[in-house]
Amino acid sequence: MKIFSLLFGAIYYACVWQIDWALVYYYPETNKWYMTAHPDDGAAILWYGWLATAALISIPLALLVPRRIADRLWNDLSWVVAVGAIGAIFFHESRWFV
Amino acid sequence: MITILLLVHGLLAVALLGAITHQALSVAPSGTAAGRRSFFARFRGVNGPAYAGPIVVMFVLTAVLGAFLYPQYRIDVRVLLEDTNSRSANGIFEIKEHLIAVGLGALPAYWIAWRTPLAPESASTRRYLTWILAFFVWWAFLVGHLLNNFKGLLPH
Repeated sequence: MKIFSLLFGAIYYACVWQIDWALVYYYPETNKWYMTAHPDDGAAILWYGWLATAALISIPLALLVPRRIADRLWNDLSWVVAVGAIGAIFFHESRWFV
Repeated sequence: MITILLLVHGLLAVALLGAITHQALSVAPSGTAAGRRSFFARFRGVNGPAYAGPIVVMFVLTAVLGAFLYPQYRIDVRVLLEDTNSRSANGIFEIKEHLIAVGLGALPAYWIAWRTPLAPESASTRRYLTWILAFFVWWAFLVGHLLNNFKGLLPH
């Protein structure tokens, strides 16, 4: 579970950075889901797709890492990664405030 | 239906906010002996580990309800924000969705850190992950509240 927490935040942020890494695109105006972008359906919600991508990658990777290796990881790494993700998010979204 | 969902989402968020704030203060360094009898000391004098499970459940439930509400937000509120050129308001919501996503990912590590018996070597992880989640919840709560009332906040 520790590995999952470490990977999820980092992969989610990578998805936000690379918008087209969203697994699914949801278009609220037409109430349609797609695996690829369909601009004709209006503005997409990518959040569901980013979460799905992050989960789909981090869950199997976390299961692959042996427990003895996971236990040996520095405990504080989980909050350090979270703080890094916060910094990256604020930096990425600063475009709204200029 | 959407109004009921919004109300339940808001009520769950209030409960989560209270729980995480109690727990976040419970791991803050304690003050003087006199200060230990204050309201603040009583507020923070809770059984931290007992809060961890309910916080995980409430965080997930609140996020799931928020995910159900999101399409309506995009249709009703987001359009208003764009029409009024309220870029900052849009920005704080974008940050909210990312913080909740990172928070969802951090929950397993948080839960492990709070497992009893509490591991002394996980004290700093426990403290900082709780503070980080508390920051996420406070941000999400305030932004959600602000944007829910945004139309009333605009100058007439």
